[in-house]
Amino acid sequence: MTPVRTDFSRLLRVLLDASVEFILVGGVAGTLHGAARATYDIDVVYRRSPENMSRLVAALGPYAPYLRGAPAGLPFSFDVVTLRQGLNFTLTTTLGDIDLLGEITGGGAYDDLLAQSASIPLLGTICQCVTLDGLIRLKRAAGRPKDLEAIAELEALRAESGQ
Amino acid sequence: MAGEPVSLEPNVLIEAYKKDVDRTLLRENLKLTPDQRLDKLQDFVRFATELREAGRRARS
Repeated sequence: MTPVRTDFSRLLRVLLDASVEFILVGGVAGTLHGAARATYDIDVVYRRSPENMSRLVAALGPYAPYLRGAPAGLPFSFDVVTLRQGLNFTLTTTLGDIDLLGEITGGGAYDDLLAQSASIPLLGTICQCVTLDGLIRLKRAAGRPKDLEAIAELEALRAESGQ
Repeated sequence: MAGEPVSLEPNVLIEAYKKDVDRTLLRENLKLTPDQRLDKLQDFVRFATELREAGRRARS
């Protein structure tokens, strides 16, 4: 199987152009703050309003979203009903991999996390991104041993940026 | 799921990992705009993917 190379800019632009309400979290959020650690997918916390889920489906639908790592041929349909019945989705698309999170450990849902996010200029528009402190809190809350190095880097980044 | 606010107080384990953080890379990244940082990540992922594919081809 050919690995999917995520086109970060195009995938984000698809969401931004469709006015999808989301907060960028995870490795790409770290990158935007200045972290050097590589990541291979995009993680977003999306607002679970009916209107926003419709925008999300319309935006990503043309890029064949499918459950990442699942066998081919499953009866998966990326539509509002599926989004409403689920919460967090780990997807692959023709533009790359994206995790759609209805809630995130330590941050809650979109409206909960909004206070720990900031608008940053990106791709000629504005993107809502979790703050550096917010990202550190999320990583700490996740409590995964594999995140320890990433947290150390983010905290060093905070010190370097004088925050 | 938001739960109690997570403390940002120093943690012994995390402090131990900080010794290995390359701060020169961070300082360079801090000079860039968010768009430039995203481009840099994209270039790295492109390179890493091509390397992985080349490795796979060499093994097959």
